[in-house]
Amino acid sequence: MILSAGCGRNERMDAVYAQRCLNCHGVGGRGDGPMAGSLPVAPPDFRDTVERKGNPQIRRLIADGKGLMPAFEPALSPSEINDMLQMVRFLSREGRQISWWERFDTLVVAHCSIPWEAVLGYDEPAAEKKL
Amino acid sequence: MNALWGWGVCRIGLAFLLNFTGLAGAASGPHSALKAVERREVKLAIDDFTLTDQSGRNFQFKSLRGKVVVVAFAYTTCPDVCPLITAALRQVQTNLSNGERQNSHLLTVTTDPEIDSPKVLAGYANRHGAELSGWSFLTGDESTLKSVWKNFGVGVKRKARGLVDHTPLTAIVDRHGVLRFAYIGPSPNVKLVLRDVRFLMSDS
Repeated sequence: MILSAGCGRNERMDAVYAQRCLNCHGVGGRGDGPMAGSLPVAPPDFRDTVERKGNPQIRRLIADGKGLMPAFEPALSPSEINDMLQMVRFLSREGRQISWWERFDTLVVAHCSIPWEAVLGYDEPAAEKKL
Repeated sequence: MNALWGWGVCRIGLAFLLNFTGLAGAASGPHSALKAVERREVKLAIDDFTLTDQSGRNFQFKSLRGKVVVVAFAYTTCPDVCPLITAALRQVQTNLSNGERQNSHLLTVTTDPEIDSPKVLAGYANRHGAELSGWSFLTGDESTLKSVWKNFGVGVKRKARGLVDHTPLTAIVDRHGVLRFAYIGPSPNVKLVLRDVRFLMSDS
């Protein structure tokens, strides 16, 4: 139950995608947004490209941009970039055969959504030693 | 020659006459990129200003006197028209001969100083393949930028962090600092921009 929390596509992801990505990548992530025809290079169809990329790779691409695609760091927070990443993953699975390892990805996403630092407390700054 | 030519330089009111202070055709609208680009001949003196370039150095507009200047307004996280405008400017730069590059300069002025620091602009310039000896990316404090936007007749409205509505203006300024051609829209025609730039280079 805990692991499945936050696995699904949610309004926050839809909103960030609609605001920042949809114009080029299209509603379904097929590279057919209203601007796509005006671009010198066609945006990719997520169904063809995302499966082969790891999450860190996609996150870096969103943060740093590529070619005409904007770099969304530092404008967006890490959680917003994560929302974008998850949205890209969801769209990339629509209408195609899902590989067996991708079935476990929602668990990974949920795992990553848990603020482990807060839960485990290992990210607290070390207390200064008193002289 | 266009009838607008005979009007003389008019700083106040011309922008309103041209109707580009409003956000008509603004960047960041849902289908703004689909609107056609409009080219207008104008005659509007541009006041001097000092902003900061992508290297963090002061950049004075007056230092470009004697050169034809193509000025575009954009911001780095713009999800619609700005990448097209910047791509068009890149093509303009590529198509200028070495001699023409000596007599011209490209400027991209940010409409989002909150995000667009010199470092962010440098990354943007790099991604777009800008040749920085002839193209500067400018940012600055909001009050200075506001007066620059106003002088060029660019409306800017912040919607969210990293999301701004603005007039998608590409302006061509002559060697005396007078705005002569205004392209309003997502992707100015590169051939027309080059033609206008070359015309202003040959115009005394």
